[in-house]
Amino acid sequence: MKKLFLIALLLPALFGRSQMKADDVKTFVLKNGMKFLVVEDYSIPNANMYLFYKVGSRNEYQGITGLSHFFEHMMFNGAKKYGPKLFDQTMEFNGGANNAYTTENVTVYTNWFPSSAMEVIFDLEGDRIASLSIDPKMVESERGVVLSERSTGLENSPWNLLGQQVQATAFQEHPYHWPVIGYEDDMKNWKQSDLERYFKTYYAPNNCVVVVSGSVKADDVKKLAEKYIEPIAAQAPPPPVHTVEPPQTGERRILVQKDVATPYLMIAYKAPEAKHADYYPLVILSDILSSGKSSRLYTELVDKKQLATSVFTGYDQSFDPTLFQFYAVASKGVNENDLEKAIYEEIEKIKKDGISENELQKIKNQKLMEFYGQVETINGKSNNIGTYEVFFGDYKKMFDAPAEFNKVTIDDVKRVANKYFSKSARTVGILKSNTNE
Amino acid sequence: MQYIKRLFIFALLLTVAMQLSAQGYQLPKYEKFKLKNGFTVYLMEQKEVPVISVSVILPAGAIYDGEKAGLASLTATALKHGTKNFPKAKLDEELDFAGASISTYASKESAGLSSKFAAKDKDKILGLIKEVLLEPAFDAAEFEKEKKRLLVSLEQQKESPRSVIGAYFDKFMYGDHVYGNIIQGKISTVSTLTVDDLKKFYQENYLPEGSAISVVGDFNTAEMKSKITALFSGWKKGAKAQVNLASKPVTPPAGNRVLLINKDDARETTFYIGAPGIPRNNPDYVAIDVVNTLFGGRFTSMLNDELRVNTGLTYGANSRFSPLKNAGTFVISTFTAGKTTEPAIDKALEVLNKLHSTGIDENALASAKNYVKGQFPPRFETAGQLAGLLTQMFWYNFNESFINNFEKNVDGLTLDKAKAIIAKYFPKDKLQFVLVGKSADIKKIAEKYGPVTEVQIKEEVKKAF
Repeated sequence: MKKLFLIALLLPALFGRSQMKADDVKTFVLKNGMKFLVVEDYSIPNANMYLFYKVGSRNEYQGITGLSHFFEHMMFNGAKKYGPKLFDQTMEFNGGANNAYTTENVTVYTNWFPSSAMEVIFDLEGDRIASLSIDPKMVESERGVVLSERSTGLENSPWNLLGQQVQATAFQEHPYHWPVIGYEDDMKNWKQSDLERYFKTYYAPNNCVVVVSGSVKADDVKKLAEKYIEPIAAQAPPPPVHTVEPPQTGERRILVQKDVATPYLMIAYKAPEAKHADYYPLVILSDILSSGKSSRLYTELVDKKQLATSVFTGYDQSFDPTLFQFYAVASKGVNENDLEKAIYEEIEKIKKDGISENELQKIKNQKLMEFYGQVETINGKSNNIGTYEVFFGDYKKMFDAPAEFNKVTIDDVKRVANKYFSKSARTVGILKSNTNE
Repeated sequence: MQYIKRLFIFALLLTVAMQLSAQGYQLPKYEKFKLKNGFTVYLMEQKEVPVISVSVILPAGAIYDGEKAGLASLTATALKHGTKNFPKAKLDEELDFAGASISTYASKESAGLSSKFAAKDKDKILGLIKEVLLEPAFDAAEFEKEKKRLLVSLEQQKESPRSVIGAYFDKFMYGDHVYGNIIQGKISTVSTLTVDDLKKFYQENYLPEGSAISVVGDFNTAEMKSKITALFSGWKKGAKAQVNLASKPVTPPAGNRVLLINKDDARETTFYIGAPGIPRNNPDYVAIDVVNTLFGGRFTSMLNDELRVNTGLTYGANSRFSPLKNAGTFVISTFTAGKTTEPAIDKALEVLNKLHSTGIDENALASAKNYVKGQFPPRFETAGQLAGLLTQMFWYNFNESFINNFEKNVDGLTLDKAKAIIAKYFPKDKLQFVLVGKSADIKKIAEKYGPVTEVQIKEEVKKAF
């Protein structure tokens, strides 16, 4: 929840001397196609297991929206050996804790445990991947849980409501059109058969990448994986998402009513997926615009002109072309149109004059600190390695990222600003109290 | 966009060190010393990454606000509005260019600074930290901008029940005790604050003798010791000693009461059910944590199991103790659709009754003990976490034995003792309900639980209820 609309700083790796090398990641692939990445790290007597399934709301269609996220919940509700409640009860009895999250692209399960509990964790995971049981009674009570999750998100953050509307407007055909949580009516209508099909199609071992970091031996991880996971049969690969969002040929605008102190503004430009060559310069551009109080947007809009009380940008990893988003909250008495115009002025400055070498160096320095933060914990290691493997196709690219970021020049940043920040490719959303004026 | 399995099930107690455990986990070696002006220093080398984390704690929290709610918080924020040698823009620029961070904030009892930077930049950033703490400029123009932003933010918080319920609850529980002070302030009080108020607050409360700094990371202790000594020895002691405003006893509630905060456009009811808790130095602190883990501190806890897993009434339900130096609160916290307000409150009360009537068994206790021990080491994995722990140790006056003996203390909790803990620390009656929701739909329900005081979310929080 806390990460709902914030810029996801999953953003791995970057330059510089890290204590970690690509060779420190041990890998193996089980006969059923499940790939394992293991990092031995003995700094604390704990370990984790992150399972990245390549399924998210982009694999849904209208009528079953929200099902990927709901399925994430159902994975905790009982299997053959460990029935309802026993997954969590067993894990917690053994000193472990867990969580999971679903995005448009992936569903990720995270287990954190004292390393002495690793075999139990494998047993629990193996059980639910092999033979989840979808109990209709559990389906009904869990439906209430996700409806409450949807409601509390809307209750507590205007960004939630506005973000859903902007996404729905920017994407008209591609499945990024609907929210991860789903439409309320679809949520009330998911069927047992939908769930069963989902499990068979997407929860196959060959659709999953697993990362284990912590005070465990890679050989032991392999033995346990062979024992508990390898017997699970592979499935046919899931059907590809074939819908490509047609090019946007004109600005789109939406208004949303909610009783708020001052207007909320979002501007979303179409932007490329993580594997695209422009990914790195766009990440740098995002930071130039809004990372820190010396960033362009904060300095101009919040500090100097006082048009906004806060401003930030977001550009996340995705499988398919996505959005580069601007978020701003208007100051008291400020017309949101003036705020919007001021953002365009800052964009135009970069399109016309580019950025300075000093600014570029600043972001590279920040990336290095970000990287240290990510490899400082075993969870940061698992998360980043898994993210690179899934979104960039190879965990080794995490170790190339330093070079990729260092290659970015001030001309690259100017070029991508011109390429993606065009009026006809943007969607503007405004949320305010009075939408009748 | 992400949706996660659980929302704030793991909401920690206010102190960092509440969810604990250790498999022989020992706090790494550190050095502690005091400068002549009374400023306490903790140094701990940690070399996994070439980074240094700093944490500072100062006796300048919201309990010293007086009538000027928000004063402590704004003063802490304004430390970053520029210093003698670095105007705000220059300060921001220096920090951003180094990829470094310095943040300053006030909490209920204390003010704080935390910082993280690359080891190679230590001279520069430590110098900035010193200026921010000792030589803030309190620039008037920057203050006016900050105040305007804060006033909008105070208005925005009223749009989110989750953002305001805690302040209402503290006010309801603590009454006119300074622990009821609202950290972020109120629109009426913040509107009248001036930069001179901040300067005065700073002079009176930012004092070395009640403060501590911890530095954890990639450095040499001897070298860091002389650096910190050189930087902070010139900090002058206060003219007069601070009065401990929080030492006054808190008046316990006499019976059930309900505070209903009406929000006309609410679709759900967000609620706390609370009671007095414990101060941080309570000798049963660890045992209480283990029992609370079972009751409302983890996913399979009694509360979450009943309100989420069995009934689907909510996305999450939890309980927590929030200890301060001299007092504390206990709270059950959850939310539910407006139309399920009554079953959700009833269920929460039923679970609380069950804790007293049925209690817990050996198996459940063993599970909770394993859990708090197993989840302990990752809470002290990074330099930043360790720096925070050291200043908490200073503030609440505990030492590494708390960490090093944690496993032993957890293991030593017997079922009989756990039962005694339940009887002594978990409330049975005189419950304090705070509900944020649509009054027209839930007022009748609220009246079931005690005499109701109704207020409007758009209005200011009253001085006392």
